[in-house]
Formats: sequence, C-alpha cells, structure tokens
Amino acid sequence: MKYAVRLLFPALCLAAFPACVLADASVDSTTLLRIYQDNRSGSPSQTFAPVTQFLGVDVDKLGDGNLSAHLLGWGRLDLADQSFNDDHAAGSLSYGYLQYRFGAANAQARAGRFFIHEGIVNEQLDGVSARTDLPYGFGVSAFGGATVHTAHIPGENSDGKGDGIFGGRANYRYGGLLELGLSGVYETKAPALADTSFAGRFGDHRLVGVDIFLSPFRMLQLSGHTSFNTASQGVAEDCYLLQLKPVEKLTLSADFNEYHDRDIFYSSALFATLLNGNNLNAQSRTFGASASYNLNDQVDISLDTKHYTRDIGKADRFGADLRYTLPDARLRAGLSYHYLLTSPEFAIIPSSSASGSFYEMRGYAMRDTKNYFASLDIIDYIFKKDVEGRGYALEATGSLGYHLTPSLALSGDLSYGSNPQYANELKGLFRLSYAMKIAGKGDSK
Amino acid sequence: MRRSQTLTLLVLAGLLFALAACAQIKALPNLPASHPEELATGPVVCSECHEDQQKGTMKAFAAFNHSRAFVANHRFYAASDDILCVTCHKVSFCADCHTNQTEIKPSIKNGNRPDRAMPHRGDYLTLHKIEGKLDPASCYRCHGRANNERCVACHR
Repeated sequence: MKYAVRLLFPALCLAAFPACVLADASVDSTTLLRIYQDNRSGSPSQTFAPVTQFLGVDVDKLGDGNLSAHLLGWGRLDLADQSFNDDHAAGSLSYGYLQYRFGAANAQARAGRFFIHEGIVNEQLDGVSARTDLPYGFGVSAFGGATVHTAHIPGENSDGKGDGIFGGRANYRYGGLLELGLSGVYETKAPALADTSFAGRFGDHRLVGVDIFLSPFRMLQLSGHTSFNTASQGVAEDCYLLQLKPVEKLTLSADFNEYHDRDIFYSSALFATLLNGNNLNAQSRTFGASASYNLNDQVDISLDTKHYTRDIGKADRFGADLRYTLPDARLRAGLSYHYLLTSPEFAIIPSSSASGSFYEMRGYAMRDTKNYFASLDIIDYIFKKDVEGRGYALEATGSLGYHLTPSLALSGDLSYGSNPQYANELKGLFRLSYAMKIAGKGDSK
Repeated sequence: MRRSQTLTLLVLAGLLFALAACAQIKALPNLPASHPEELATGPVVCSECHEDQQKGTMKAFAAFNHSRAFVANHRFYAASDDILCVTCHKVSFCADCHTNQTEIKPSIKNGNRPDRAMPHRGDYLTLHKIEGKLDPASCYRCHGRANNERCVACHR
C-alpha cells in the first residue's frame, strides 16, 4: 500500500499540473538553504549546508467540479556534511490524496495519504475515508487503511505500530447548543518488541472516546473529551475546556486535563519506555485559567496560569502576553513574560538544591510592505539555577526579505544564540518562497 | 415465532428510517469549499460579518472567532469541525506544525513569521528536559507515535 501510494501520488500530481490551467489551483513552494557550523571542543568541526524543498499543491474543481487533489511533501539534500542520520538526502510525503465533495450534507470521500482529526482520533493513514451529515442532527464518518510507519525504535525492528488501522466517529448536534460525539480507533496487532522491559506497558493502539460541545448560552461554552484505552483497560485522558465571554472583547477560560500515564502512552514504543520506573499507575493533572481582552482593534492582552500535578512533584506557570497589530497587518509586534515555578524534581538533574524554574521573556516585531518584509524576534530563558554552568538561553533572529514579484519572495534569516549547549550559536538561512494561485473567487490561508 | 416477528418488524422499521433519512440527506446544506470572499490578513473575527449560526455545523460563528483563547485551544474545534477549518485554511497550514515527519522546527522554517504561534521557539533542546517531565502528555500528542525520529536518537 505504502509503495503504491509513493508511486501513485507523484504520478497524480504530475498529471494534475496540466489540469491546473483549467481548474482552481495553488502551488506553494519554499526552498530553504541553511548554513551552520558545529565547532564544539572535543568534537571534529563540521559544516552543514542542507537544502530543503517543501512543496504543496492543491488542485480544485477537477472532473465534474467536485473532485480535488492535494499534496504536501519535502525533500532534503546535504551540500556539505550530513545534517541528520546516515544519508545525505531524505524526504517525506506528508499527505497526498484525492477528495470528492458531494453536493449536500457536507459529504466527502478521500483516498490516499491524509490526516484524520475526528473526536479523540488523530491519525495519519494510507487509505480511504468518508463522512456525511445525516438528518435530525446526526453525522457519521469512517476511515480505514494502512498505518504510516515512522522511525524504527533503536534496538527494535519496527516503530511499534500495527499495519492496519480503522475507525470513525458518530455525532449528534442539537442546534448550536450541543454536540455529542462517539469515536474510536482500532489498529491491528502491534508488533512484538524484543525489549522485555516493555511487558505490561506497551501494546495495541485501540481507543474509544466521547467528546462534547455544550453552549447553553452564547456567552458560555464547554468543550472536551474523554478517551478509554480498550487494550490497557483504563481511561487514557480527560481534557475539558470551559470558556466564558461576559462581554464581547473579554474571554475567560479554564481547562482541566488528566492523563493516566500507562493508558495514554500504551501504544507508543517511545513513550512507554519513559514511564516513571515501575509506577504504571502514575497520573498527571493540569488546571489552567486565562483571560484575554481586546483593548481595541490593535491591542490585545492576555493573562494565563497553569498548575501542574504529577506523581514526582508540582509546578505553576504564570504569564502575560501583549500583542499589537496595525489594521492592515503591515506591522505586528508582541511582548510576553512567563515564569515557571517548579519543585526540585523537575530540574534537569534533580537534587534537593536543584531547580527547574525559569523565566521566559520574548519580544518580536515584523513589518510587511508591498516591496519588503522584515522581522526581529528575541527570546530569552533565564534559569533560576544554572544549567550546565550557564544561567540563560538566549536566541535572537532577524529576517529580511524582498517580494521579487507578488508570488515570489527571497528572504534571509540570521540568528545568534547563547545557551547551555553552545556558548555562541550563529545560524544563517536563505528562503525562496513561491505561492501561485489560480482561482476565480474566494480565499484560503 | 413472536421474537422473529419482532425482529423482522424492527429491521423493516430500521430500513424505512434509513430510506427516509437518505431521502432527506440531499436537502441538508453544504459548507462552501472555500471562503467566498477574500480574507483579511491576520487572525479573523468571523462574527464581524456573520451574525447567524452556521448551517453546516450548527454552531454560532462567534464560537470560531480567532481570539487568543481560540488559538491556544484550537484542538477542541479541529476535532469536530475540521470541515469548517478547511473553508479558510489549506491543510498545509495545519501541517506546518502537525505532521508525520518534521524536517525543520516550524519556528525556523517560518522564521520570518514571529507572529504565528509555533511550538519550541528558542533553545528548546535545553527546555525540553524540564517541560518533558512537567507535562509529557503534551509531548505525546505530536511525538508519541510519529514525528519522533529525532527523539529516539537519545531516548532509548
């Protein structure tokens, strides 16, 4: 299946290019050349110059006007030393699918490689999917196909995923007041792993869950979901968000998240190993609250806090954001400040005198005109206790670009950093962006 | 005998219901494939133009205003209304961050757009040693079963 998709979709996209002339189409291409040098003492000096090409193609109104083709992928070539893994070249197809939109009920069908976000389900697959609204407020969707495998876990001969995946969601909506959803995903049997320490903490990827949207008044809104792991027989997560809009420009929100480590990480060969010792029943909770207010069309401010509770300790985060945007968005700027206060257990190397606490400060500004665009972004983390002998991690990035044509832009980024990894970190990047759109009406971002 | 008759009646009733439902599907509205008007640059406020509730999702447009709270909690909306998201956003907009295999940190790829909310800005290589202990489930959402080829280089 995977091999077929690899062959089929490049061929489809090549075939689709002539159709672009007749159909609504857009092509987004970004070429990046990064240049950086690793000169750490004790290691051989290395120079990296990877060129990465990102390509996205969307062709609408094919065939009878309801068919569309969508593709996104990237490829990398190292012009100097290898930048990652064992190869000088790499690539990935993020998605590539055909979609047919039926004339009513938001019904659509997809075939190819795509992402699924339905209720508690977040997957990528090579296969087919279909969805439709039904009378009386009901709706249904289903998908099935082959899993998209990823990097092998070192020491194993797989990524821990089964080969087939199926699932779907059924939902009921009552006016704008209520939506209830029931969703699930079933992956075929996970491969056996050689490492025996996985026993009891790793297994099949099988989840069911419910989700809710409730808005009895325009100013009040509750959203959230609960998922249950049928393979480990335990609740994996509860995530709920309550939002209140007492006046149009003010949004108050509170969120609650609870995770049961064994049940949420059960089908991840990577995360199953990260479970804290043998305490498979450990759970984590977060409570958050925020308030955001639009002072006027140009300025918005938000305050936020979050409390973390884990079996190993507790932490709190507080902060504020300020954003400024000119009406035509030619100038955008922002300032933010956050402080994370943790118990010593969250320090990088825990000890009674250690600390994982840090301050985060960020400021940015960007200007976009018809001819040029420029931005400056500075972010600094100040650690309460030094990390590897350094008290902060600073990064400043400046970007300057020119619109060669309305569709073509050339820009360059230069960033300087100083952090616990590198005393001085200087990186450069060139970016060539091309965004072509052939469309009668409408817009998409 | 009575049981089989009941079952037959139930099946017939179910079929009739399904037929009636199918006949009504054609009358159900479709969301447009793309936003019918040119959109302003930057976060949009849907309720500036739309006062009514949508036909397709039957939720108030105001619920989708792109406030700071909406952006921070967009996962709740995408989980049930992604068909509405795609009327304005290409899927590649989501895939800037949410993907199977990321070649470059999104904030570096989009280094000329500091206004966009992007994960892992700055020296996250150091920060992840703290944040990962603090809330591993937030890491899991993106790196649990995909997009973890760089994680496994150290975490095994």
